[in-house]
Parts: sequence; structure tokens; C-alpha cells
Amino acid sequence: MRLSVLLGAQTGFFLLLAIVWESISRLELADPRLLPSFLTVLGVLGDLLTQRDFLMDLGITGLEVGVAFIIAAPLGVSIGFLLGEKLFLGQILSPMFHFMLSVPQSIFLPIFMLLLGIGFLEKVVFGVTHAIFVIIVTTTAAVRTVPRDYVTVARTFGATPRQIYLRVYLPAMLPVVMTGLRLGMIFNIIGVLLAEMDASRAGIGRRLFSWGEGFQLDLLLAGILLVSALTIIINEVMRYCEHRAARGHVA
Amino acid sequence: MSSEVIRVENLSKVYSTREGDFHALDKLSFAIEEGGFVSIVGPSGCGKSTLLQLLTGLLEPTSGQVLIDGIEVRKPLPEKTGVMFQDATLLPWLTAEENVAFPLSLCGTDKKESQRRARDLLKLVGLGDFINHRPAELSGGMRQRVAIARGLVRDPRILLMDEPFAALDEQTRFKMGEELLWIWQETRKTILFITHGLTEAIYLSDTVLVMGTKPGRIIEVIPVDLPRPRTFEMISSEFFGKARNRIWKLIQEEAEA
Ligand SMILES: Nc1ncnc2c1ncn2[C@@H]1O[C@H](COP(=O)(O)OP(=O)(O)OP(=O)(O)O)[C@@H](O)[C@H]1O
Ligand SMILES: [Mg+2]
Repeated sequence: MRLSVLLGAQTGFFLLLAIVWESISRLELADPRLLPSFLTVLGVLGDLLTQRDFLMDLGITGLEVGVAFIIAAPLGVSIGFLLGEKLFLGQILSPMFHFMLSVPQSIFLPIFMLLLGIGFLEKVVFGVTHAIFVIIVTTTAAVRTVPRDYVTVARTFGATPRQIYLRVYLPAMLPVVMTGLRLGMIFNIIGVLLAEMDASRAGIGRRLFSWGEGFQLDLLLAGILLVSALTIIINEVMRYCEHRAARGHVA
Repeated sequence: MSSEVIRVENLSKVYSTREGDFHALDKLSFAIEEGGFVSIVGPSGCGKSTLLQLLTGLLEPTSGQVLIDGIEVRKPLPEKTGVMFQDATLLPWLTAEENVAFPLSLCGTDKKESQRRARDLLKLVGLGDFINHRPAELSGGMRQRVAIARGLVRDPRILLMDEPFAALDEQTRFKMGEELLWIWQETRKTILFITHGLTEAIYLSDTVLVMGTKPGRIIEVIPVDLPRPRTFEMISSEFFGKARNRIWKLIQEEAEA
């Protein structure tokens, strides 16, 4: 009941925004060359989605983001887990990862370009470096949230160290780790798009950049709408998984 | 051949702390017969939980030893001892049934068989209708029942319990005690029960061990010569009152010392 009211209100708000946008440009309150109408942009978007080379660019970006995540997620979780579990190691290395998290990764982009060129690899590496530090830091924090009691109980019932990791630590940490992974994914997308917009021969980021340069605002806005929608969907799907993982965790 | 299942010999535990060595337990010795119900009472901090951790093999003694079935305990022996703590310490992401089956899943018991045993035990503790509930959806008393079922699931001969009902209200606590007695009579387990409740200790046990503090040691062994089954009326009997006063005085003196 209340959820449907909420959803209704939210949809209404978005519709309102669309209507305001549409009216502003119809009434020529803003220069339609700078702000093409909402429906125009939707039309352009529909068009784009039928163009092979545009879909190729979208696919390349998706692949870069996907590969970067597949590398960053297990690596980040493993490193974070080691840092949280091996206290000594954690004390030595944790500050470094914390610092890395606070440094804007974009300043390293020129170095990556020098080292790796401006192709697929550079984008993936940039995505990985964006994602991995949040994942590491949240996973380390997640290890510390596991109550000692759970481990004690498992030990009294004869759990081996391996079983303690897989059957106690992992599920107990899961909700927090999932949050880390979701944030990592957001950072990862930021990294890949940033690299593409800066210098690239392919990808959706390069498209956005060149449309902007060429004052092709209908295309630019269509691209922005599409990327926004896709990232929101990714984020929400991951949030749903996070929510599922957290079921029952509040004792 | 004696029927002692638990034997504690000159058991000492020294914790090294920043302020130096702390003698938590000093040369404890006692034995528990097969099928016995023994309670341990004593002032807070006298080393009861330390003793329990030594009995379960979670801690190593500084000197002396713990024998279970004549074998020295060096690590947890889940097939011989089931353990219960003050908090139910259920795993929150598992259902009641999965929590009860958890010890079985660790030793690779067939899944169907584990499920069947977990369900039977949940029925035994009166939670047959709650097998798919998660701990967050159960009351404190229900969680403790799940923990009892989990402690029984590998069919150990010994149950070690560290203030299992301390977090419950008086009424639930009494009811849980009754149920524990019933389970004990049905299954003929040997039970070591740590508690702060003197009435509870006397009501449930054959023998009450009274511990003193600094360092932790056993200062008196009080046999409870009351017939079984125990009844509520016995609590107001003369013997009960005397035993209670005696233990109270001992603990009081220790706490002041
Ligand atoms: N890991 C440890 N390191 C140092 N000292 C400890 C440790 N564990 C317990 N102690 C000390 O040993 C003593 C006994 O602790 P223990 O938990 O066994 O007491 P207890 O009898 O169970 O108390 P309570 O009735 O409050 O549960 C306490 O003084 C405690 O401070
Ligand atoms: Mg204690």
C-alpha cells in the first residue's frame, strides 16, 4: 500500500520533470539548440539504439566495465579479507589503502596513458584502480564486524579453519562486502567513462565527449539519459542483492 | 571401571595480562559421574566461564588437565560435548533448522539426515512450527531452545552450559529449567550447568559446586538430596532453604574477601 503510493509519487515527480523540460524548450524559454525537447531527445535515443556502431561503442564500454569488475571484485575482497584477518599485515598496509582511497585517481590517468596507451587495457586498468580501494577498505571493515562469538561457537562444534572462513566469516560479512562491491562498481564505471572521455578511440565516453564538443546536444542528452538509466539499473540490482544478503542479519 | 565422564585434575589457568599474570583458576579438581547433573555457582569473575572454555577445549590449561571419557581434552570434541552459552549465539543468516543442523553440516552428515534430526530436535524443544524462522524472528526463550537443540544435535553424552538462561525473564527461565530436566531425563545426558541463580542450581542439580574467587577454586561441594522428579513445592522445603542459605553465605564471604 504505502510502497505503491511512494512509487506513484516518485513516478509522478519524474513525469513532472519531463513535462517541465518539454515545456521549457517548446515555449522557447531556452534556446532549443541548447536544450532540445525531451521528446526529441527520446526520439534520438531510439534512433541511436538501432545504430550498429553506436551499439558497438556501448558494448565496448560494457565489456571494459565488466572485465574491470571481474578483476577488481575478487582481488579487492581477498586483499581486504587478508588485511582484516591478519592483524599484523592489516596494521602495516591498511593505512596505505585508506590513503589511496582518498587520492583522486584521475591524477594518475596521464601515467596510465603513457604506460598502457589509450586502448582497452588502459580503460580496464583505470576501472580496476577506481574500484579496488573501496572494495578493499569495506571488506577489511566487514571482517571486523564479525562477532567473535560466531567463531567461538563454530569452533566448539568442530569447525576447521577453512569451514570457519567459508561458513562463518563469509556469510557474516556478506552484507557489508556487497555494499563495498556496489560502491566499487559505481567507481569502476566512473573510472572507465573518465578514461574514455579523456582520450579514446571507442566507447560511450568518447561518444559523449565528441557530441559535446560538436554542440550536438540532442545526441549528448540522449547519451546522458541512456548512461544514467543503465547505471541506475546496475546500482539498483546490486542493492537488491545486498538487501537479500542482509536478510535476518539484524539480530 | 568407573563411570566418570568428566574428570578435572589440578586444573590451573593463568592469563598473562599487561598488569602481569592473573591466576584465574587454581588447582581445581572434581569429577562428574555419567548421567549426573552438576551446577557451578560462584561470584562474578571467579572463573566459571574460564573453566567451561577449558572443558570444551577452547582454552589450554596452564597446568593440570581435563579428561573426558578418560581422554585428555586438547581441542573441541563436538561428538562428545555439546555447548551452550549465555547468548544463544545462533547464526543470524540461517533458519532455526539450519542452525540446529549446523554442527552436522560441519562433519559432513548427509543433508536429508541432518534435516530430519534438526526437525526432530526442534519438535523436542517445542519449536516444531518455527523451523523456517530466522533468529531475529524468535523470542529470547525460543532462541535458547534452538541453541539447546543445536547442542544436542550430534548426540553428545555431555552438555556444557554457561548461564544459558541468564538473559531470560524469571518465568521463562523456570520453564526452560523444567524442560532441560525433562530432556535430561529422556536422554540421560551428563550436564554441567553454570549459573548465577542459586534456586535454579539447587532445583536442577544432583550436586552444586561452589566456587571461590581470587584465585578461582572450588570451596564447597553441596550434594542435593532431594528426590526426583523435582517439584515446585520442594523449593520451600527446609532442606532447600538451608542449602540455599549456605551457598549464599559462602558466595557472600567470597565476594567480600
Ligand atoms: N582472556 C582473558 N585475559 C585475561 N583475563 C581474563 C581473560 N578472560 C577472563 N579473564 C579474567 O579471569 C577472571 C575469570 O573470568 P571468567 O569469565 O571466567 O569469570 P566468570 O566466573 O565466568 O564471571 P561471570 O560470572 O561474570 O560470567 C576474570 O577476573 C576475568 O577478568
Ligand atoms: Mg561467565
